[in-house]
Amino acid sequence: MIKGISYFTLRGRVIDLSLLDAEERAAVTDLIAKQRSVTEMTEYSNYYMPALSSLYLPRGLTHRQITETVVWKIAQDLDGRLMVAADMARAPDDYRDSFESVIRSDYPTQKAFCDATGLTEDLVSHVLARRKHLAIDTLSEALRRIGYRLAIVPIERV
Amino acid sequence: MEMTQVKIVECSFFIPIVRDSNLSDGLIHKLETWQKLSDELFTRFGGRTMAPGTYSGAYRDPNTGLEVTDESRKFYLAVSENSLDEVRQLLREACDWFQQKCIYLSAAGQVEFVTKP
Repeated sequence: MIKGISYFTLRGRVIDLSLLDAEERAAVTDLIAKQRSVTEMTEYSNYYMPALSSLYLPRGLTHRQITETVVWKIAQDLDGRLMVAADMARAPDDYRDSFESVIRSDYPTQKAFCDATGLTEDLVSHVLARRKHLAIDTLSEALRRIGYRLAIVPIERV
Repeated sequence: MEMTQVKIVECSFFIPIVRDSNLSDGLIHKLETWQKLSDELFTRFGGRTMAPGTYSGAYRDPNTGLEVTDESRKFYLAVSENSLDEVRQLLREACDWFQQKCIYLSAAGQVEFVTKP
């Protein structure tokens, strides 16, 4: 999870902790300690939101802006590890989960995604339903067209 | 001058821990789906409280007529009475995110089932 000054999320994203200010780094340390100390996952789930409100609301951030901070992403990642460990959620271990996430977050419809990537709607439907895979060169090209790329990342232990 | 006080009410709702097996695949939700719910509850209502553990229940599926048992997580919100429509709107969206036909909502002592539009 933490290696040197980097935090590795379950999705393989690397967060540079040196970019945080002292209060934010202290908050991350506190969240990690809390997450490790709880015996039931909701103890942590109910802890991190008020903790980050206390940190950021006095700085003038809105609740929406707080959810866009790096510390929020870390707080949620810590929560996610507990959920995955308790079999309450699936870890993002299949590229098709990420594929679906991009469609949902960046495009109003699946058709819009298909138009942007050049993939057929039929193929995308099969991939999302886990019935088919995309060839790696097809996937790479489709992602390139919409500003993404494939990456090899270390497997994070929950 | 008469001041009108905004009434704060308690809401709770249940999110089944798996996707509906008729609408979808019956698998447990992806992590990011739960995270989206947390983001939206925090953004729209300033937070939420989760009850520990899970809750078992049973209902008759309106489409199949069969009894279905499920296991859910329970969430609490304290919102102003005039924000209840915003709660319903969020749960309508959540039906889609979590692949549910409806979501059980209890608000100020009244129970309703919020369905997809």
